Amino acid sequence: MSNETINGRGLAEAERLYRDYGIRAKKLKEQGQKSIAYVCALVPLEIIAAAGFIPIRIRGDVNEPITKGDIDLETIACPYARSCFDNAVKGRYSFCDGLAIPHSCDSTARTYSVWRYVLNFPYSHFINTPHTANTSALEFFRADLKNFLKSLGRFARSEITDAKLARYVELYNENRKKVMALYALRKQDPPLISGAEMVKALVAGLSLPVEEASDLYDQVREEILNRKDAAIKKLPRIMVVGSAIDNHDFMQLIEESGANVVVDDLCIGTREFGPPTAVTDDPMDGIADRYLNRINCPRTYREKKEGETLEDDLAARFGDAGKLAKEYAVDGVILYMYKYCDPFGFEIPVRKTWFESLGLPVLYIEDEYSAGTTGSLRTRIQAFLEVIE
Amino acid sequence: MADEQDAKKRRKATEAAGKIGGMVRAAIGGTIKAKQEGKKLAYAFISSSYDEIIRAMDIVPVWTENYAGICGVKRDVNRFLERAESLGLSRSLCTYALCGIGFDQMREELGEMPPNSPWGGQARPDMMLSSGQILCDPRNKWYQASQQFMPDVPIYNVGLPWPMYEDDVDVDDVADYYIKHIVKELRGLIAFLEKQTGKKMDYDRLSGIVALAEHTWDLIWETYEMRRATPTPMDTGDAMNTMVPMVFMMGTQEAYDFYLALKAELQDKIDRKEGVIEDEKYRLLWGGGLPSWFALNDFNYFNSKGAVFPAETTYRLVEPIERLNIPNTSDPVERLAWRWLRYWTYWYDKARKRPGSEPDVERLIQYIEDYKIDGIVMHEAFSCRTWHLGLIWQLNQLKKIYRPIPVLSLGKPARRENPSLILESDIIDMSSYSEVETRSKIDAFIETLESLKSNQIA
Repeated sequence: MSNETINGRGLAEAERLYRDYGIRAKKLKEQGQKSIAYVCALVPLEIIAAAGFIPIRIRGDVNEPITKGDIDLETIACPYARSCFDNAVKGRYSFCDGLAIPHSCDSTARTYSVWRYVLNFPYSHFINTPHTANTSALEFFRADLKNFLKSLGRFARSEITDAKLARYVELYNENRKKVMALYALRKQDPPLISGAEMVKALVAGLSLPVEEASDLYDQVREEILNRKDAAIKKLPRIMVVGSAIDNHDFMQLIEESGANVVVDDLCIGTREFGPPTAVTDDPMDGIADRYLNRINCPRTYREKKEGETLEDDLAARFGDAGKLAKEYAVDGVILYMYKYCDPFGFEIPVRKTWFESLGLPVLYIEDEYSAGTTGSLRTRIQAFLEVIE
Repeated sequence: MADEQDAKKRRKATEAAGKIGGMVRAAIGGTIKAKQEGKKLAYAFISSSYDEIIRAMDIVPVWTENYAGICGVKRDVNRFLERAESLGLSRSLCTYALCGIGFDQMREELGEMPPNSPWGGQARPDMMLSSGQILCDPRNKWYQASQQFMPDVPIYNVGLPWPMYEDDVDVDDVADYYIKHIVKELRGLIAFLEKQTGKKMDYDRLSGIVALAEHTWDLIWETYEMRRATPTPMDTGDAMNTMVPMVFMMGTQEAYDFYLALKAELQDKIDRKEGVIEDEKYRLLWGGGLPSWFALNDFNYFNSKGAVFPAETTYRLVEPIERLNIPNTSDPVERLAWRWLRYWTYWYDKARKRPGSEPDVERLIQYIEDYKIDGIVMHEAFSCRTWHLGLIWQLNQLKKIYRPIPVLSLGKPARRENPSLILESDIIDMSSYSEVETRSKIDAFIETLESLKSNQIA
């Protein structure tokens, strides 16, 4: 990407794209480039991009009261999903040409018809990601992704060849590597990039064509490496674990409270950007494997194998997060969940036990996805940080 | 205790519904006895397409959602919910699951049933059968959470997808890979059960049980269709009882016989023109959501206002077998897979014929027509996303696309209105329920119906 397509460089550009989310796709639409809006990390972006669309991740907004969304969606849905829906109803994604929703959780899957009919995009599709992750489920999922590819191809009126798919597998893998290279800047103490800056950069990238997102991440990294005036001090190192965070406010709150957020197990975060897609003869094999097996979200059931102890089972389910905690030398973990999140909610006790077994103090927060809770959260976080110090 | 006695006093219109309490009590007691006799017990979820398989393997199902519901009816749920909460589980999660997990943890800690457990308690299982569907996240996570207190109890999670309703994808285009996967998941379950019990599946026996279950499906459908009669001989208050054999005893002779008796009873009432209430003024559709199990008396309150519920979408988990167009197969496992797929996609073709429609909305329209419905009541339980998301939209969409048969009105054809009421509380957690508030909402709703009816007459 050159300066023809961006106004600034690095962090400033990330900030602009984060604040004015979707601006680049709107600009490209004037040149005939179409976009598909989506929710959740389980949507295979490689397929959407190979079909010629820009995948645009639908965001919520913690500062925006949910008003129009509640006309059609119950308040017992996950507040994050409700906020995403509310934003979409308010027209923030009306520049998009279609919608893709995966079977991620009840709050999205059980409301697919609501999204589809209310938003009324010219195209929509539900990706039926299985809950179980065995050989049969993988075969099923692969067939369902082929069905998605066929359906999207019909809408795009173009053939999505294996070569195109393979090309986007490569581009997205490269993109994920660049994100993880940004994460690596946080291994130092103090980290070179803050948690709030990371969220902005990552989220900004989710509104761009993948090549441009990769360029943006490169620029951010370059700027950070050359930054002389970073005000990041040595402070307790925190890992945030939870479902989806797409606003910088929570990270900023932790950092203002006297800590550095150095790593996460989140969407949008390492859960989403960490695992690459395996390069396979039929690209769909690698894609199906990534989105079913490698993205470690609690909505996918991981079986406790015969003969495994409870500790083995927890290690298999949460070991990757534990590895990150060690690699990034974290001092404490904040488990951050949204109200009404059944997939994560039922794991809270064991997740807490698991991190504590690694010698890490844990703060569990159940939140509403609203800036209105900042005051009470600040007190709790400060108290937690005092314990760590 | 006074509350409990009130709950017990709910007046039932049918004798059949009156027998259900005893049947459930016997079934729960039966699981405890079976455990003492050394039989294999499995924690299980309703509507998971494995009822016949469990029965054919002589495994005794322990329906954990049912037990949570019983705790709700008995108004003895708080101690289990609070225990779950003390373990770090949020009260905003599915309260059936919280109740079950709290109960399990208490039982495991004590080494015996918690004192005074409703109807003797929930027996410790030998295995747990999870259910990974589009339907319900807690069914995918509940037993995994319980396993931390029972690490020796293995889980088999049955993946049971069905295709979502799409404009550009026909069910037949994708049925092949859906069926292939569902069959493999069910065969995986059979292999798991064979291992747990040390005995082989008798496929002839399974075929017989599947056939019995399907006869029962048809019988239930025919029986429930009789409720179209005016006055209706049975309403949703009773159906929340008579669903028990449908969801917890499918594939047993007892379930079949129950509906045979119910059908005869309804026929007798229809012949004698005996309705749920004497003066039936308003016919309502229970259009979605599980009821508050501790407040089933609310149905009687509706009745006292002249309102009856001839139909409900909740717990009507059958369609006529012939209309499901299940391909010929001698393999009972394949048959179960096809029945599953066809049941969940049953309303798709009908929805395609009406612009802007959707299967759930189409089902509402069908019931409104068939059962001559004046209004719809739904329940929004705060803790259950499974059955309660999308209901508001369905009502909104219903208003947008439904063109009912016009009724005669002087001067111009009148559009029939479908007023709706959404009750808010929970399935078993009483803390969110206010009887006074609920009943004043019902009163206001009845007034709306009355006013509409008066306007129509005028």
